[in-house]
Amino acid sequence: MSELLNTIKEAVVNRKRKEIEGLVSEAIEARIDPATIINKGLIEAMDVVGKQFSTGDIFVPEMLASALTMKMGLDKVKPLLKSADQPSRGTVLMGTVKGDMHDIGKNIVNMMLEGAGFTVVDLGVDLTLEKLMAEIENLKPDLLGLSALLTTTMPEMERAIRVIGEKGLRKDIKIMVGGAPISKAFAEKIGADGHGADAAEAVDLAKRLIGE
Amino acid sequence: MKSTSYNLIMSALYKGMKGERPPVGNPTSIVCHGLMDLCGISFPEAHLEPQAMAELALAGHEILGFDTVMPEYSVDQEAAALGCKVDWGDRDRMPDSRHFPYEDFSHVKIPDDFLEKPSIRVVLDALSILRRHVGGKAAIIGKVMGPWTLSYHMAGTQNFLLQIGIEEKEKVHRMIRQLMPATVASARAQFQAGADIVVLADHATGNLVSPRHYEEFLLPIHQELTDTIEGPLILHVCGNCTDRLEMFADAGFDGYHFEWQVDAKTAVEKIGHRMCLVGNVNNPEVLYQGTPEDVYKQVRYAIESGVDIIGPECAIPLSTPIENLKAIVSAAHEGY
Repeated sequence: MSELLNTIKEAVVNRKRKEIEGLVSEAIEARIDPATIINKGLIEAMDVVGKQFSTGDIFVPEMLASALTMKMGLDKVKPLLKSADQPSRGTVLMGTVKGDMHDIGKNIVNMMLEGAGFTVVDLGVDLTLEKLMAEIENLKPDLLGLSALLTTTMPEMERAIRVIGEKGLRKDIKIMVGGAPISKAFAEKIGADGHGADAAEAVDLAKRLIGE
Repeated sequence: MKSTSYNLIMSALYKGMKGERPPVGNPTSIVCHGLMDLCGISFPEAHLEPQAMAELALAGHEILGFDTVMPEYSVDQEAAALGCKVDWGDRDRMPDSRHFPYEDFSHVKIPDDFLEKPSIRVVLDALSILRRHVGGKAAIIGKVMGPWTLSYHMAGTQNFLLQIGIEEKEKVHRMIRQLMPATVASARAQFQAGADIVVLADHATGNLVSPRHYEEFLLPIHQELTDTIEGPLILHVCGNCTDRLEMFADAGFDGYHFEWQVDAKTAVEKIGHRMCLVGNVNNPEVLYQGTPEDVYKQVRYAIESGVDIIGPECAIPLSTPIENLKAIVSAAHEGY
């Protein structure tokens, strides 16, 4: 069993998108528990990929290819999960702030969060405050992740956090921020709960924040 | 050599004689709300009308004291001419396009009237206006997007990078090659219209793609571009490119405009003897959120490290305080 799981893990790490569905099917037929396929095959693979990205062994193209491979495997096995097997770790709302169209980093974080067992609701790019507030009130997520790539749009993060506070919703939601111009210092200054320098850090942060 | 703006920039570009002080230049946009208010011109008209475009660029030299004028504020001029539907933004938003006409990597057709498209014409006309105003007095900088950046615009950035990740090499090579003529035509036309220097911006950003990707997909293309385009070229690539600086020099560019993530001393050590170095005052932490004193420190560090032309690391945030821009110029005016 562990050999098959290892092969699945290697397929994600090595971006073998043409093999992953077949391998996951094999694991299902071998009666390996779907939750185990996800945790030991797919999620562990993305932990490895995340570390490789952090250390500069791979870059965004490889990351995207691994995330795609992981998602293909996940889509194959997820329908078999009974909700009791793999309760959601929490609901995460993700979005790129108003005026900003960049989303690659956010999209990678989304895929890794989903792989890690979170329920991810992606609000896309150029996220208006109106839409954000409506979704927070509607979905009552555990965590909000905001992304910005442009220095010009960084103030929108601060605005969003302020408005969430003004509406009395701040205590019910954790907020993490990320994106190329964002620093820990900026995150602290605007009252965010944390900052992830890359996708791997974002997932670790999400685990810590929701676990708190 | 007289220490005029033009002389200081052009001499620095070729590692020539130094004047009384280091030159201050902007290969990328230095437009901010403060500058717009001072000269009474805003976005989006400065992207769309040549007179407005030229006057806003002039303000960078005449009001702020930069030694250059650079009229192309967005990265979307060629993309619009190639068929992207560009949203030209407003006072608070730079232009952007969410429309990718070649998502499927089909054959890219560069229109026969590419140089007559409004988004290209406006830059060429603005350059000619600038030539009449400051020709020989301040250095006039044009800007073109390289074929990597154009590939992002044609196919979508994530889509393009994914093709590299899944090793669809032939597709990637082909698209880059099909877009090269747009870069060449645009650059040549800008020199003819009055540019002294052209910045070639190609966003194979340090933190996005590896040096291996640059070497495989883009270095040979850049070598061809620098062989083909006759005037002086400054390369702009964002991000931490410390690991590929020598390759940029190998590509044949006359200068490299670099970001804060590349340490100035390191850049000078590695390629300062081969290229003009332009940069690299930090945008988010210093120009946008910092004080004039923070700006001063970074400018003096860049000068002491041997950076040839001092300026912001990339297009500045629109709400950058104008005092911080002026602080770059006053720090450089202290001399070497």
